[in-house]
Amino acid sequence: MADQLLEQVRDIAEGQIDFEGQRLAELLATVLLVAVGAVSFVVGYVKQDIKLALYIGLGGTALTMGLIVPPWPFFKRHSVKWLPVGGMEKSSQGIIVDGKVIG
Amino acid sequence: MHSTIVRGQNVFGFFTTVCFVVAALIAASDFLAPRTPKATVAANTVQVVRGRPHYYSTKKEEYAIIRFTMNADFSSLFTWNTKQVFVYVSASWPNSTSEELVNEAVIWDTIITNPSADHLQNIGPAAMKKLLKSAKGKSIDPKRGKIDLKNQKPKYQITAPTGKLQDTDGVVLRVHYNVQPWVGVLTWTPQIEFGSWKKLKGGVSKAFKLPSIKKKDPPKKV
Repeated sequence: MADQLLEQVRDIAEGQIDFEGQRLAELLATVLLVAVGAVSFVVGYVKQDIKLALYIGLGGTALTMGLIVPPWPFFKRHSVKWLPVGGMEKSSQGIIVDGKVIG
Repeated sequence: MHSTIVRGQNVFGFFTTVCFVVAALIAASDFLAPRTPKATVAANTVQVVRGRPHYYSTKKEEYAIIRFTMNADFSSLFTWNTKQVFVYVSASWPNSTSEELVNEAVIWDTIITNPSADHLQNIGPAAMKKLLKSAKGKSIDPKRGKIDLKNQKPKYQITAPTGKLQDTDGVVLRVHYNVQPWVGVLTWTPQIEFGSWKKLKGGVSKAFKLPSIKKKDPPKKV
C-alpha cells in the first residue's frame, strides 16, 4: 500500500508530459520570457523608474515559472500511443531466410 | 522538457539570459540621455597651520584649510539608471620637481543618491526619514543635483609629502564627479566629449596662493 503511494508521489514529482506538451512548454518559455523582458524595459524607460522595471521583470518570470514548470493537464493532451506489450504481427511481412518464411 | 526539474532549469537559464540583455539595454539607454554638467568654484579663506597627522606622530606637518564657495548643476546626470553621483573638490598645485606632475589633494566630497537608492545612504533614522520624504513618489529627482555652497568648511585638511605647504603658488580648486549607475560602466569627469555627453563647464577656480603660517604675537607684557 505504501509502495503504491510512493509510486504516485514519484509520478507527481517527476512531472512527465508528452512530446507535444514539451514542444509547447519550450515555445511558451521563450515567448513569455522575451515578452517579460521587453515589457519591463519599455515600462521602466517610459516611467524612468528602474525599481518598477525590476519588479515587473521578477513578477513576470515568477508567473512564467508557475505556468511552465508544474505538469499541467494541457501539457498532457497528446499522450503517446504505445504498442501493446508482447503482441506479435498476425499478417506475414514476407521475410524469407534460407528458403523458409519466418516472418 | 520532459520532467519538472528540467523545465525549471531551462526556464531559469533563459531568465538569466533575458536579465543580461535587459541590463545591457538599460546601460546603453544611458548614452541617449544628454549630460550637461556645470560648476563654478572659488576659494574663500585659506589658512596654513602646523599640525601632526595623528596624536603620537613625531613629525609636525603643515596643513592647509581652504574654505570655498561652489555652485554646481549636476541635475542632467540623474537618469533612471543613476544610483548615486559622487562629487569631490580637490586642490592642485604644480610639483616643484617636474613639469608634468601636479600635487592634488581632495578637500571636500559628497554622495548624492537618487531616490531609488536612498535606503542605502549611511545616515541616521531621522535624517533617513527626511530624505525619503523629500523625494516622495518620484523615481528620479534631478533637483538633488543642484549644489549651492557658501563659505563651505572643508572636510579634509590637506598636506603634501614634503610636509611644507606655506607660500605655495598656483593652487587651483577643481570640481570632479563620478556617476555610479545601477547597471553599466562607472564614469568620471570626462576629458573628451562623447556624443550627447558634454564636458564639465567651468569647474576650475582661479589660481591663488597659500599664505604663510600666522606667527603668534608675543604676549603683551602688562
